[in-house]
Amino acid sequence: MTTGTMIASTADRAAASRWFGRLEGEIAGLLAALILVSLLAALFAPNFATTGNLLDILRQAAFTGIIACGMTLIIVAGEIDVSVGSAIAFSSALFGILTASFQLPLWAAALGVVAFGMAAGAGAGAIRAYFNIPSFIVTLAMFSALRGAAMLMTDAIPVPILDEGFQVWGNGTVLGLPVPALILLASVAVFSVLAARTVFGRSVYAIGGNADAAHLSGIPVKRIRTVLFALTGGLAAISGLLMTSRLGAGNPNIGFGVEFAVITSVIVGGASLFGGKGSMLGTVLGGLFIAVLNNAMVLLGINAYAQDVANGIVVLLAVLVSTRAAGWGRARRRPSP
Amino acid sequence: MLPTVARPDAAVDATALMKSYPGVQALSGVDFTVAPGEVRALLGKNGAGKSTLVRILCGAEAPDAGTVRIAGRAVDTFTPRHARALGIATVHQELSLVPELSVADNILLGRWRRSRRGGFIARQALEREAGAVLAAFGVRIDPAVKARTLSIAQQQLVEIARGLSLQPRVLILDEPTSSLPASEVDILLRTIRTLSDRGVAVIYVSHRMDEIQRIAHSVTVLRDGRHIETRPIAHAPTAEIVRLMTGGPDAAASGPRGTRPSGDIALKVRGLTTAKLRGVTFDVRAGEIVGLAGLLGSGRTELLRAIYGLDPIVAGGIEILGREPAGRSPRAMIRQGVGLAPEDRKKEGLVLDMSIAANLVLAAMHKVVHRMMLSRRRQAQLSQQTVVRLSIKRARSSDPVRSLSGGNQQKVVLGKCLNADVKVFLLDEPTRGVDIDAKCQIYALLDQLAAQGTAVLVASSEVEELMLLCDRLLLMKDGGIVAERIVAQTSLADVMAIAMDGAHEAGMDGRP
Repeated sequence: MTTGTMIASTADRAAASRWFGRLEGEIAGLLAALILVSLLAALFAPNFATTGNLLDILRQAAFTGIIACGMTLIIVAGEIDVSVGSAIAFSSALFGILTASFQLPLWAAALGVVAFGMAAGAGAGAIRAYFNIPSFIVTLAMFSALRGAAMLMTDAIPVPILDEGFQVWGNGTVLGLPVPALILLASVAVFSVLAARTVFGRSVYAIGGNADAAHLSGIPVKRIRTVLFALTGGLAAISGLLMTSRLGAGNPNIGFGVEFAVITSVIVGGASLFGGKGSMLGTVLGGLFIAVLNNAMVLLGINAYAQDVANGIVVLLAVLVSTRAAGWGRARRRPSP
Repeated sequence: MLPTVARPDAAVDATALMKSYPGVQALSGVDFTVAPGEVRALLGKNGAGKSTLVRILCGAEAPDAGTVRIAGRAVDTFTPRHARALGIATVHQELSLVPELSVADNILLGRWRRSRRGGFIARQALEREAGAVLAAFGVRIDPAVKARTLSIAQQQLVEIARGLSLQPRVLILDEPTSSLPASEVDILLRTIRTLSDRGVAVIYVSHRMDEIQRIAHSVTVLRDGRHIETRPIAHAPTAEIVRLMTGGPDAAASGPRGTRPSGDIALKVRGLTTAKLRGVTFDVRAGEIVGLAGLLGSGRTELLRAIYGLDPIVAGGIEILGREPAGRSPRAMIRQGVGLAPEDRKKEGLVLDMSIAANLVLAAMHKVVHRMMLSRRRQAQLSQQTVVRLSIKRARSSDPVRSLSGGNQQKVVLGKCLNADVKVFLLDEPTRGVDIDAKCQIYALLDQLAAQGTAVLVASSEVEELMLLCDRLLLMKDGGIVAERIVAQTSLADVMAIAMDGAHEAGMDGRP
């Protein structure tokens, strides 16, 4: 901190609040909704407001939340990745094979899995960027191929991994907090800074807001698109490893529907599928909202299928509220395509 | 042959049309009459009122005052639908075909009812009907093929066929040949001739005098929203048309202005050839402002895009400050000191929902990075300097660019390039849609940049603007440079005549 920073701080604060302020109304609304649903749960759901349950919510939210960090940037850039559920299964299966069949040390296998996740993501991103194929199509292909590869590798049978040190990652706690939750917090911190404070993050918003203008302004649009998918691939691999640790097995049958749970958190968090709009804070609140809601419904003994219906309604409501609010707030938003 | 103009049975008879937009009197008392079978060329500079007149005739706008009669019937409601019902078909400059639908589908778009059988569209009946329309004006295009497989000229003809399928009395063509290669213009002109023979009145908006001489019976010139003159084509040589358009031999020519001292060659273009350019060669020196003049579709924008590395080069090359550029992407060009302010600022220049400050540093983010992070303080300082230098009026530099007026948005585009430290500044229509104050400020800024040694290359459809701003003009036609003029030694009329007439070195006394 220099004196210069202090002097400029008033203008900066205004600038900062405006920079995030585009979402402020929505963030406040989301926060209110989260508090409301938490209060209702605390009042009516037995055992909701216990430390154990709250930590469990955090642990549950971590597996999708870690991926949602990367997905937020992907959606802000105007892209989509529907392959992350299969990427989790693939990572888990690959980890099982590498440790069981190839006898690799756990750390080496883990590194290999994350490296492969990033490479697969980079490949998908590069196909999107350099061949100009819609990311939905590219990742739809990955969605199918990665799941299939996971099943092939393991004959669809889980590979047990019985290492106590490894199980700490999915089940253990540090300073009372579940390890996955800590990793989630770390990713949120890193991606918040990445999104708001770096050239990379600024470029992502510019590409999502107007890819042509970004390109003409010298922003390396293709490279950034490639890196975005690589980051999310890496996060999906990490999430897959944590689930593997939690389950004690390299399992190709996990991660079903995770892609949509992740996209749901990001959208409920206020990001626009048209790109250019969204924030890490919103995604965190959106993810927590859904996690609390689902947890409360479980505690209340509500039918699991009814929970799915509720989730669907939440997504629709969130998007309706955010588009209407934007319409009321400003005279013009981007024209509908 | 000029058909005799008898008002009661005129195809179009507009009298005393008035139309104003906020701050602009677009039309003040324009009379405009076209007889059946007459081909009328409509000319005027940007802002003369051509588009407003066309928009009123095709029902897109209602006039503030005045009357329009179509074949003797007074028009009371101005909607595109009503205009179509009265027999007016308009072919706009932008093509509006649905590429994945067949030619027949496109011609009868939205009017498939007659070709329906039991709720389904009967493809054969549709194609027969469309085929009949195409045959009626002697065009051989298979109505079954998809629109995207056609050449641009053929697509243009399909657009016209769509207009003709409405059996119009009046056909309005808005700069129909600007996107056509010369070889395909003939097909279009032949079609117009046929229509005219059948009694369709044709209003032809264009500035290509060679085409106008070939097909128009008469010419109407508008200037500053007024009807200046209508005369038979035989009495309308190019030099005379230019005089009518500009309002005098040298009305808008710039006063004597000191020539700028220029330095070394900053931009060297040699035999540059792309899909749209043929062998373009010229230099721009440091401290010099060079203008690219030429009609719509002459290749001005394409030349700037090719220099900036956006379109693939077939042959030839460029040098920036004596060096061949390493890399042909916008990113590489910016690094080497080349900046482009594109034609469409909303689509290509700005991220509208981002803040003014963020847009101002968009091409130079490395300048506001401190310890790998974007520094809000440095961004605020840099954007503040730029805002002051360009006198951008704004509430706060953290407001979205969308909230600014057109002129101020344009200044943000220029500021973005300035912050990237351009040595060679390419500008495409830098003052389009910009108010007069902002225009003057932009001119002053470019003047100041040139004085500091920047090489400036400006493309504009307004020749007056180029005469005011530039040291030297390059005149383009069909993707090549056809003439070069030192601004201090030429006149507006001379330049406009060359642009409208094309390749021949036309002087004041006109045509070959």
